[in-house]
Amino acid sequence: MDNKATILMQKYEVGHFLGQGNFAKVYHARNLKTGQSVAIKVFNKESVIKVGMKEQLKREISLMRLVRHPNIVQLHEVMASKTKIYFAMEMVKGGELFYKVSRGRLREDVARKYFQQLIDAVGHCHSRGVCHRDLKPENLLVDENGDLKVTDFGLSALVESRENDGLLHTICGTPAYVAPEVIKKKGYDGAKADIWSCGVILFVLLAGFLPFNDKNLMQMYKKIIKADFKFPHWFSSDVKMLLYRILDPNPKTRIGIAKIVQSRWFRKGYVQLEAFQLPPLSPRNAKDISDVQAAFASSSDSDSDGSPMSNKEDSPMKLYRFNAFDLISISSGFDLSGLFEDNQNGRQLARFTTRKPPSTIVSMLEEIAQIDGRFKILKKNGVVRLEEYKAGINGQLTIDAEIFEVTSSFHVVEVTKIAGNTLEYWKFWDQYLKPSLNEMVWVWQRYEQQQ
Amino acid sequence: MGCYCSTSKKTEAQGYEEPTILSSETPCEYHDPSLNVTVSEVEALHELYKKLSNSIVEDGLIHKEEFQLALFRNKNKKNLFADRIFDLFDLKRNGVIEFGEFVRSLGVFHPNAALEDKITFAFRLYDLRQTGFIEREELKEMVLALLHESDLELSDDMIETIVDKTFSDADINGDGRIDQDEWKAFVSKHPSLIKNMTLPYLKDITLAFPSFVIRTDIEESEM
Repeated sequence: MDNKATILMQKYEVGHFLGQGNFAKVYHARNLKTGQSVAIKVFNKESVIKVGMKEQLKREISLMRLVRHPNIVQLHEVMASKTKIYFAMEMVKGGELFYKVSRGRLREDVARKYFQQLIDAVGHCHSRGVCHRDLKPENLLVDENGDLKVTDFGLSALVESRENDGLLHTICGTPAYVAPEVIKKKGYDGAKADIWSCGVILFVLLAGFLPFNDKNLMQMYKKIIKADFKFPHWFSSDVKMLLYRILDPNPKTRIGIAKIVQSRWFRKGYVQLEAFQLPPLSPRNAKDISDVQAAFASSSDSDSDGSPMSNKEDSPMKLYRFNAFDLISISSGFDLSGLFEDNQNGRQLARFTTRKPPSTIVSMLEEIAQIDGRFKILKKNGVVRLEEYKAGINGQLTIDAEIFEVTSSFHVVEVTKIAGNTLEYWKFWDQYLKPSLNEMVWVWQRYEQQQ
Repeated sequence: MGCYCSTSKKTEAQGYEEPTILSSETPCEYHDPSLNVTVSEVEALHELYKKLSNSIVEDGLIHKEEFQLALFRNKNKKNLFADRIFDLFDLKRNGVIEFGEFVRSLGVFHPNAALEDKITFAFRLYDLRQTGFIEREELKEMVLALLHESDLELSDDMIETIVDKTFSDADINGDGRIDQDEWKAFVSKHPSLIKNMTLPYLKDITLAFPSFVIRTDIEESEM
């Protein structure tokens, strides 16, 4: 490539070369419109096809759309020409985690933070049915803020081997992170194998060396299959307890993500991701000045249940009043998402019309929230929020129901999952929400089925 | 050096336009969305277009039945609003949606498309008789269509009340119809009215239809 800047697809100015592997070259580039820096990964199309990777590459591109997460390197878009395939990826400027480990073990609190972020990312992917299958420090980047970024999720088959110096080679570029059941080659659960790999990574971060290592490959495999390892004397008892359960050679009894998150060692200093902070309650008529004042009043008291109730008996909440265009816009003919039949990014939205008064809807939602004391209720004008007390791996399950007035005896209700695990939501929907709501429903306008 | 299409291109279905021409062409006369899409995004959309346009009649064009099949999983299901969208996508008014029309029209639904274009498109959707105004009778017709679609029954009085209330809010100059400026002001007060005008999915279109990466034969500079 000459010194002259190259413009890619009329959109990116391609800059300096960053690195090369067996399948791809990586360049720095800049989005001409936004100025955003990206990494452009360039694959030779003929090479990809020659090694029979065509279908796998397409599948993995699709998978990358499912796993958006702050601790996963994001694939922004894909481009292609006659001879090349280009991935425009998030630029991570801090470097690879293995460079840190190659200088020696990390402090426990630093290792814990990386591990927390790793488990968050892996749990997020598993909840969407996606496994990494090649977790190792080489695939873990650290950005300029010191946050972990998992890369090559879903692209494990394209990961290149690399030449490294002696120390790096003993930690990276070896099968030392592979789970016992993978070595036995009798079929395995990718999610459980990923958890094992996370355990090996945690051990390496804290120890500065591999738990299973031998110059002889077969000897190393034997150690892995038997989980034959020793803890260094500086490992705390809590982390030992956790690692014993992660590096369990039996996948059936190996600890899962949910239990890892609950463990004492993991929870220390664990904070919910910024991305999972809940949006504020936002009824459509939130622009009223009185609502702004109520919002300020309620924000000064974090235990507030939202704005004060109106004194009106027949209309306890100040509802957004549907106009004729609001009514028209709920037609299924206006919903073009059906054009994209496998749209999995759609929000979980259910909508129905009802003749019941709003107070009945609210009471029913309050009853559901009380079951097992699972949800906190927040209210603000037409919005009722069910917010789970206990934080799961993907943040608390949080559901908003908004009630709109069409006439005094005819209302529209929209129920939306706004945070939390999708599978948990559908379970809750099928078991509690839908049966109760069915009693209220005049006409179901729409609800999404789980996929 | 920009990209350009190979001269040795196979024959495509009627209505196919070269992706590079589409992504760099000046805005068309019907509306003015800025087509800030890459060639690859156009090609990814073409994968989607091929699927839709060959679902019933294998002629490479989207017919009304194919559009209805995609939206409702039922090619015979009628819907006033889907018809309006189809008619607006069908820029040449020839009864089918060609690929160029598909790309240009969907461009308005992109999250990055200009808000003004979304407001204008929605106005034209609701202007059933294309008079340049949303008439009271048009609005009432649409409310009745929604109620019918939903098997809802409201009294005539209730329907008149809803339409009257909406008109009193939107028809600022009181001439009995809503013009584009009044519509723009009304949408500013009720921004949720154009929520349907954005399809977040379009942001990820190249990841959603990755088959194009193998198929494309667009020339590009070496790197």
